Amino acid sequence: MSATAEQIDADAEAAARRRATFRRYTRHPGFMIGAIGIALLVLVALLAPWIAPHSPTRTDLMNNLAPPSATFWLGTDQFGRCVASRLIHGAQVSLQVGFFVVLISLSLGTVIGAVAGYAGGWVERALVAVIDILLAFPSFLLALALVAARGNTLDSIILAVAIAYTPRIAAVMRSVVLTIRPRPFIEASRAIGLTPWKIVLRHVIPNALPPVIVVATVSAATAILAEAGLSFLGLGVQPPTPTWGNVIAEGQTSITSNPLISLSAGLCIAYTVVVLNLLGDGLRDTLDPQMRRNTGKLL
Amino acid sequence: MTAAFELRGLTAAVPGEKGAVRLVEDVSLSVRAGETLAVVGESGSGKTVTFTSALGLLPKPGRVIAGQALLEGEDLLALPPEQLRRRRGARIGMVFQDPLTGLNPVFTVGEQIAEVLRAHLPISRREARDRAAALLGRVQIPDAARRVDDYPHQFSGGMRQRVLIAMAIALGPRVLIADEPTTALDVTVQAQVLDLLGDLRASEGMGMVLITHDLGVVARQADRVAVMYAGRVVETGTVEEVFRAPRHPYTISLFRSIPEIDAPAGTMLAPIAGSPPDPARRPPGCAFAPRCFAVSDAHGCRSVRPDLIGAGHFAACHRQGAIEVAA
Repeated sequence: MSATAEQIDADAEAAARRRATFRRYTRHPGFMIGAIGIALLVLVALLAPWIAPHSPTRTDLMNNLAPPSATFWLGTDQFGRCVASRLIHGAQVSLQVGFFVVLISLSLGTVIGAVAGYAGGWVERALVAVIDILLAFPSFLLALALVAARGNTLDSIILAVAIAYTPRIAAVMRSVVLTIRPRPFIEASRAIGLTPWKIVLRHVIPNALPPVIVVATVSAATAILAEAGLSFLGLGVQPPTPTWGNVIAEGQTSITSNPLISLSAGLCIAYTVVVLNLLGDGLRDTLDPQMRRNTGKLL
Repeated sequence: MTAAFELRGLTAAVPGEKGAVRLVEDVSLSVRAGETLAVVGESGSGKTVTFTSALGLLPKPGRVIAGQALLEGEDLLALPPEQLRRRRGARIGMVFQDPLTGLNPVFTVGEQIAEVLRAHLPISRREARDRAAALLGRVQIPDAARRVDDYPHQFSGGMRQRVLIAMAIALGPRVLIADEPTTALDVTVQAQVLDLLGDLRASEGMGMVLITHDLGVVARQADRVAVMYAGRVVETGTVEEVFRAPRHPYTISLFRSIPEIDAPAGTMLAPIAGSPPDPARRPPGCAFAPRCFAVSDAHGCRSVRPDLIGAGHFAACHRQGAIEVAA
């Protein structure tokens, strides 16, 4: 039957297309480094109980502030807890914060920004006013206030940081949408009778996403920093739960004698921020069909 | 035979410093099923605004302040927005000027054609895709079954315009409005696209409105023609009537400014001096008077706005009897 032959043909072509898409990503070094870096981090976080050489919370006051050794890779802190184990377990908290903050602020911010930019009129003015007020307010302070009001559980920290970061995404989204709204294919999609919601979801948002995704990955990095900052100030996840912020804060007391404690936690944060940024840039280069001829440059 | 699409006294305006500025004023036109009406005029004469406002697509803060847009007798402008949306794309299609940016760059052409179908019909994704491929074939895209999954940037300008035409005719609209569909294309491709539009109009029995500033296109494609100037229709009739014996000085001037291939060497073109009036400061009387070769105060050209007069072939000029001799 000829229909079957055509079907096989079409399926083969779809498979070729998928392979081409896959290659586009694998040939982008920045994207690959970022993706592998994040994958490693996720793996470490998931396997933390098995990888970590010691319990992250077991104290041993007889062996505090020990230098790095074969048993304690990065030494111990002032309570004698294994710093390496605390960092490995801390990755769980940091990744959760990064992931959920981006998930929430990207979903909310994208829709709010797209509606503001596309709708225009009083809807836009009202939303922009709210966005501007929230932007004018230092986002870290806003998160701090929200955590203080709701209590410092992990959920409320994620929510607070997400709310503080939503206006940034929304503002970027709106400005990108303003450049997309006058493009002829938007007028064309109105002329073919699409509903405004469908135009926003199918035509406006996908075209606005590349720059927003870059902002979002950077936001994941700064959200992890914000959590660390909150923990450092004692408003994050409460000790003895290990988080990178807590490790920096606790290491501070002995920073002159044992700088490795705070430094190693800081390096964990820096590593995460860098791989997230590489991933964001890689996504920007590969998401847009017109930018598929990527240059293959790392930076 | 009733008109497939008819505008009656359509007037659209934007708010200005001193009250509403009328972009188009009292435009009445009609197109029958299977017929092509060409709307000609220079840039800014209101050709596009006329039809975007008739479809409720005029960008804010512009709005229609008077008139009707009758699609098979039903006034689109009186419909609630949701009902109007359902008519757009389904019963009246529109093709825009710039095919290069008329498609969404992030979806395949097949997905975009399928989207029109799925916006109006309860069909599955698979079925929509198959019909999209068939539509690409109808607009003569070679190897349509394969190209349905290509992205717009893999298509040439002429092919993208075909895709946009496929989207516009996907649901078998009664009327197709083509807004300068060939302006952005190469001359050879222009002819192909125009032929395609002509074939589709004939096979579907659609009424077609062809907005253009190319009189050659009008002569080749249209049955009737409406000439617009400064937001108004100044002359309308069958192509033969208007081309044989133009009555409005503006139309006459348009013909004089076209180069003729068999004119003696050294013949100068006769451009129309000046430029069209700013919509906010149109002169009283005939809007063309400041540029008109036949202007006459005795006939009230500068004080009285001329009406469209005639039978079958109409013109809005105080001097139409006298200037035929002069032309």
